[in-house]
Amino acid sequence: MTTAVPAAQPRFGTAQILLALSVAILVIVVAVPVLLIFFNAFWVQGQFNVVDVIKVLSQHETYQALLNSLILASGVTVTGTIVGTFFAWLVTRTDLPFKGTMKVLFLVPFMLPSFIGALAWKMLLSPRSGYINRLFMDLLGLDGPVFDIYTYGGIILVETMYLFPFVFIQVAGALERMDPTLEESARISGADLFTITRKITIPLVMPSILSGSLLIMLYSMAHFGTVAVLGIEVGIYNIPTLIYEKIHQSAGSFASIRTGTVLASVLVVTAAFIMWLQNKVLARGKYQIIAGKSFRPSELKLRGLRVPMLLFCIAYIGFTIVLPTVTIFMVGGLRTYGLPFTAENMTLDNYKFILFDWQLTRDAIWNSVSLGFSAALITMTAGVIISYVIVKMKVRGKGILEFLGMLPFSVPGSVIALGVILAWSGKFGVNIYNTVWIILVAYIARYMAFSLKANSAALEQVHDSLVEAARASGATMWQALKDIVVPLVRPGMLAAFFLIFLPALRELTVSVLLYGPTTRTIGVAIYTLNEDGETVYSAALAGIALIIIVFGESVIKRLFKVGRKG
Amino acid sequence: MRLAKLASVCTGLLVAGAMSTAAFAEQQLFVYTSMKESLIGSLKAAFVAKYPDIKMDHQSAGAGKLMAKIAAERESGKILADVLWTSEVPDFYQLKKDGLLLPYISPETKGAINPLPDYDGSFTAARLGTLGIAYNTRFVKTPPKAWADLKKPAFKNAFGVANPALSGTAYMSVALLSKTFGWEYFEALRKNGAKMGKGSGQVVDDTASGELLASLGVDYITLDKVKKGATLGLAYPQEMLVIPSPVAIFKNTPNLDAAKKFVDFLLSKEGQEIVAKNGTLPVRTDVKVPPEYGLPPVADAVKRSIKVDYPALIAEKEATVKKFTEIMQKK
Repeated sequence: MTTAVPAAQPRFGTAQILLALSVAILVIVVAVPVLLIFFNAFWVQGQFNVVDVIKVLSQHETYQALLNSLILASGVTVTGTIVGTFFAWLVTRTDLPFKGTMKVLFLVPFMLPSFIGALAWKMLLSPRSGYINRLFMDLLGLDGPVFDIYTYGGIILVETMYLFPFVFIQVAGALERMDPTLEESARISGADLFTITRKITIPLVMPSILSGSLLIMLYSMAHFGTVAVLGIEVGIYNIPTLIYEKIHQSAGSFASIRTGTVLASVLVVTAAFIMWLQNKVLARGKYQIIAGKSFRPSELKLRGLRVPMLLFCIAYIGFTIVLPTVTIFMVGGLRTYGLPFTAENMTLDNYKFILFDWQLTRDAIWNSVSLGFSAALITMTAGVIISYVIVKMKVRGKGILEFLGMLPFSVPGSVIALGVILAWSGKFGVNIYNTVWIILVAYIARYMAFSLKANSAALEQVHDSLVEAARASGATMWQALKDIVVPLVRPGMLAAFFLIFLPALRELTVSVLLYGPTTRTIGVAIYTLNEDGETVYSAALAGIALIIIVFGESVIKRLFKVGRKG
Repeated sequence: MRLAKLASVCTGLLVAGAMSTAAFAEQQLFVYTSMKESLIGSLKAAFVAKYPDIKMDHQSAGAGKLMAKIAAERESGKILADVLWTSEVPDFYQLKKDGLLLPYISPETKGAINPLPDYDGSFTAARLGTLGIAYNTRFVKTPPKAWADLKKPAFKNAFGVANPALSGTAYMSVALLSKTFGWEYFEALRKNGAKMGKGSGQVVDDTASGELLASLGVDYITLDKVKKGATLGLAYPQEMLVIPSPVAIFKNTPNLDAAKKFVDFLLSKEGQEIVAKNGTLPVRTDVKVPPEYGLPPVADAVKRSIKVDYPALIAEKEATVKKFTEIMQKK
């Protein structure tokens, strides 16, 4: 490989400026907040102090939260992996009818924010008044609920419903790309299906399963919404919910911030460990799955089970996607929570009120849209520059950048939020606490990883020779970038934009720690309305959020299709 | 590139727009209150209609959360709120002691009852909140009459109190009931499966849905849901919980004129009529609560109310919350 930058260059050329800029962005936005967390956790009055950290960790409350995070995350990982693998196998390796449609449908849970799902399940399965529990209690004359959602099991169930696609995507992809000749040769040599599955299929797919389940674990460890909706009331806290409780209830006192930072440190270390494990698994698995696209893998004939299996899939989707969504919209249309769904109890007033009359919800929608848009645009632009330096440039000091670029991947949302509070609330001269800017800074830090991933992928496909040709023909570095690189990576940039814009629209974990009186986001508004007992308004707003998300998601799909054709 | 430039200009405008919607009105006012949207919303509408040049904003959240917010803001050097209006009376004595409140005796106080000792205008009661037993009429056929009724098997595992760390009215109620009946009362409730919920609105909503059969309900929150068709009843035992909700102006407010106007308006006949219309007791004797709510008249309620020992209340605040939480978290 030749380098894009000539060896004899001025000391502060474009390359150095870009490098300095990239490092500066990542340091200020990502590294400083995270370092401040460790600093606050381990330094007390100017001294390194581990005893205090251990003291905080051994308090019943913190210790229990750590344990809960572990219990919930492992539970969700196990169930999510089973569900995801099973459905992935079903849509790729069997003759299930309507496989293509089913595959798309199994990805829908990705669109639904899990805290909205949790809200719906609370309405369906709370022990005494949940619609499903009520139904069974009335029908069968039961005294108690069929299922109590306010339990570990309930939380695991709800998280599984919305997180299993992590495994589903990875495994379905692996099963499709797997070279079928491997299995076939085993069959020709006389192995039975069981042996083939055990000795060939599973070992080949294992890395994908593992990497998917580690993603679930990573996500679940750091997940705020579901536990906040279903756990807090019965005393089940995980790390992010305890951080939230500490920051909100104890008035920003030193002790509570410290507990927060210690918990956050644990979260960072755990997340980093999971990321490391995942990289190891992927590195090992890479050469095993050979992209053999020429053959279709052999399909298992379901025979008599074809229709029952289809019905099962439909029932699963109906139960986990359709039912909660319908519940949200129906409850959002009730005049007040607790009324039966009869015509005279239904109204559109709630939707009208939150869209047009209520400042709080109108602000929330506006805040989320403008924050998402700004964060996506800024992060996309910064991401291009940083990825360019990482992927294409040969400058000294790039190693730091690579490390800094990896950092956002393993930093959970609540940690970023806590970090920006420490960094931007006046201690270092800048005070943007209580404003939208602090949320914007946090979003940029949080979503930088998405942008780097999408942009690096796009940049890797741009061959160096193109830039070299431009440079050889006399273009400056800047011209080469502008006229050659940027047009070529535009699809990657666009992808980065939407990869950030949509999640930011429904974001809760970060903004719930940072919102001020006028800076609620959609997620925060839904969550606080639910907490305040405005159940119908919270459901109506959730319904509107779902419409915005689904609308946004389909616009992108169309956009990309058109883009690809053109 | 031109597209990118255009887009970034747009972003700038968008963000700037989000922040500066308030910048053009002549006067601004920010109210932190624990009153729910139904009450503060209608007050705000009337206030803004009367003073169109004042741009009023408000943050509505539980008293505990608001105090946490204020403490964090003090730490960072600037309190965003101009006016505070909650039901957690001890907070106001504390803020006054810390020298954060501006004494202001509104001309409207002449027509108002003052239940607060050591009155110097630092904070003025703007509403007499009452709490009763909110119960779901679909499931509870004999309305509870006394506080002791909640210990009965009819309310097994089905009575809720909001978290006093979050809600000012819940905190005051817990303090008053524990003073009157002793902590044994709450211990007995817990034995009967009573629960601690989240905010004061949430326990009422849970009662409306049937998740709880009864809860400690704030008057206007319960009655607002009744108005919308919820199957709720509100019963007042003989020993009534009557809790003043003080309003105060922060000393360093840059919007003093608007803040004073708001306090005046709140205490005026017009403002108190809105308070009463929403189903909570006004502080003015010349304002009547609509009879369909079934609220006792102000004089009667004050006579029946559990007397508040303010100094003791302030001294024991944290201990009260802790003790209650401990009892309610017992297995």
